[in-house]
Amino acid sequence: MSEDKRKMWQFPWQYRESIAFVTGLITIGTLLQLVVGKFDFYLLAAPVNIIVGIVIILLLILFSLKRKSVFYQWFSGIPFSVTLIAALLIMGIIMGLIPQVVRLDPHDHSLVSLFGARQITTFWPFILVYIITLFSLGALIIRRLIAFKKRDYAFYLNHIGLWILLFAAGLGSSDMKRFVMHVQEGEAEWRVYSDNQDIIELPIAIQLNDFYMEEYSPKLVVIDRNTGEAQPTEKAEYFAIDNKRPNGQIADWNISLIKYFHEAIRNSDSTYNEVHMPGSSPAALVAAVNRKTGAENKGWVCGGNVAQLYMTLNLDSTYCIAMTQPEPKRFVSYIDVFAEDGTEYRDVELEVNKPLKIGNWMIYQYGYDNMAGKMSSYSSMELVYDPWIYPAYLGIILLALGSICLLWKGNKKKTNNDIV
Amino acid sequence: MTWSEFLYFAIPSILCWLGAATLIYKDSTKRISEILMIAGILIFGAFIVGLWIGQERPPLRTIGETRLWYSFFLALIGYLTFRHWKYSWLLSFSAFVACVFVCINIFKPEIHSTNLMPALQSYWFVPHVTVYILSYSMLGAATIAACIQLNKMNKTGADDRLYQFMDNIVHVGFGFLMLGLLMGAVWAKEAWGHYWSWDPKETWAFVTCAAYLVYIHMRLQKKAPRITVWVLPIAFVLLMITWIGVNYLPAAQNSIHTYSN
Repeated sequence: MSEDKRKMWQFPWQYRESIAFVTGLITIGTLLQLVVGKFDFYLLAAPVNIIVGIVIILLLILFSLKRKSVFYQWFSGIPFSVTLIAALLIMGIIMGLIPQVVRLDPHDHSLVSLFGARQITTFWPFILVYIITLFSLGALIIRRLIAFKKRDYAFYLNHIGLWILLFAAGLGSSDMKRFVMHVQEGEAEWRVYSDNQDIIELPIAIQLNDFYMEEYSPKLVVIDRNTGEAQPTEKAEYFAIDNKRPNGQIADWNISLIKYFHEAIRNSDSTYNEVHMPGSSPAALVAAVNRKTGAENKGWVCGGNVAQLYMTLNLDSTYCIAMTQPEPKRFVSYIDVFAEDGTEYRDVELEVNKPLKIGNWMIYQYGYDNMAGKMSSYSSMELVYDPWIYPAYLGIILLALGSICLLWKGNKKKTNNDIV
Repeated sequence: MTWSEFLYFAIPSILCWLGAATLIYKDSTKRISEILMIAGILIFGAFIVGLWIGQERPPLRTIGETRLWYSFFLALIGYLTFRHWKYSWLLSFSAFVACVFVCINIFKPEIHSTNLMPALQSYWFVPHVTVYILSYSMLGAATIAACIQLNKMNKTGADDRLYQFMDNIVHVGFGFLMLGLLMGAVWAKEAWGHYWSWDPKETWAFVTCAAYLVYIHMRLQKKAPRITVWVLPIAFVLLMITWIGVNYLPAAQNSIHTYSN
């Protein structure tokens, strides 16, 4: 009950003061937002972020000389950190509820946009709470490092890991660059477009030797011949083509797969032959029996592509069987990469989940001509520059080790001999 | 080995695991339960190895193959966590959920060939999902305990043993939750170019972590006990939004985490 007798702002500070402090911080941030507009991360681009980072660390070291003071104790203590986490949590919920946009519509004058709720990551209160969190967490780490105890290793791993990750992710975000480069088969490219549609020359050139794609077998679907709507309209049913499972049902029809060619070319009599060549497309010989009327139909169905017409099998005056476009299984760009300093990477296979790392750059398989599918004449690659990835990974590794300690040690301090 | 031999391995595994899940509660049969659990894991593991050799590639490409690993790791990690923490219900839970995934593979054979989109074809997929399932089960248990604690606080006062259980299971569950998040971050860097892009699913995962951090830190002091215990059910609601709710939020219509049509 001693807490009640203590007046507000009388040390030692607790939750009331912490909440008041963070509310003040958010108010200042909101005013800044209204006066100067959103926080521009590019102001922090190197070397500014490095200087800011050094200043933060120096300030933390200077501040630690006062670590015995009640203010330092409060600033690095539990009530204040809980309040900061809660503030981030609330802003996170706002971010999770209001759709976030990369670029605001200049004609959008709604209050939500005015207050920055559509771009929380550039919202001044978010930035201020982030910076104060860095200071508070940093102050705590220094205090505990000076009073070092070996058995606190889990504490150090988790808190230092989180601090490094927050530091690198926030300050580093202004140095991050992402570009999409489209390269024609057989050609080399080093130019990309910026956000303002200016041409930028990158220090990396990519030559696309070949683009290769594998597709999954498509699906069969019964559609309305007039509207194209998949049947039954309440919940469309699909029949996945699989030679091991040739029989199935869609709506009122029993479907059986008689023949399937993954790569087929149409003959002059509207049948199909298996031919492995560019422009081929999946085709299936299908029989369908209506369970109610007993009507039977048999014929070829083909999804078509840019080189071949599609083909459907009419079931009656209203419905027909059609084939969906096959979905990509795997797509690979066979590339050579030339860096500005003369290093070359020959015969690289670039595919999704397997990027190529060159110094601080990463190259990703990004996309292709969706209309042409595997006949795409170009491949799109994303180039990402992020020099802060190393400290970020260091933070992630420390945090992961700390998490393993958590799940192995639990809350052992109190539960050594007594487990429910 | 191919999928056609699946039943000969799946049914013995299910029998072992269900046996283990029920026998664990009696002291006299605890040992048998553990042996059954291990036997189930070995039989199921043998099928995965066989399929790997038979297909000449790691079985990680179709939805059915992914579910094999869920079952295997749920049983394995569930058993190891049981060995370490002695929570009988956790062994039952992981054995049961492992069986559920096996049953899906038995009764929906079409998913053996339902293929994964390229972005999901990664070694990170299975561990990322498995640790989340385990984490959710523990944080769910913590939520139930928190409700019982709130009830006790109203009637007889807080139960210290229950507090110990809650704190411990939240620590363990949070450890798994963070591992899931960090593996997701590393995977995102490999697949999408950045480890954190504030995608709606990521945002809600951040919110969920923050909520459990609030609980863990508030418990270090004994202030505002009622609010502290209330944090757990609230955090679990946020967790449910992250897991399921996100798909229905207007903010998440463009989420790269949405894989259904």
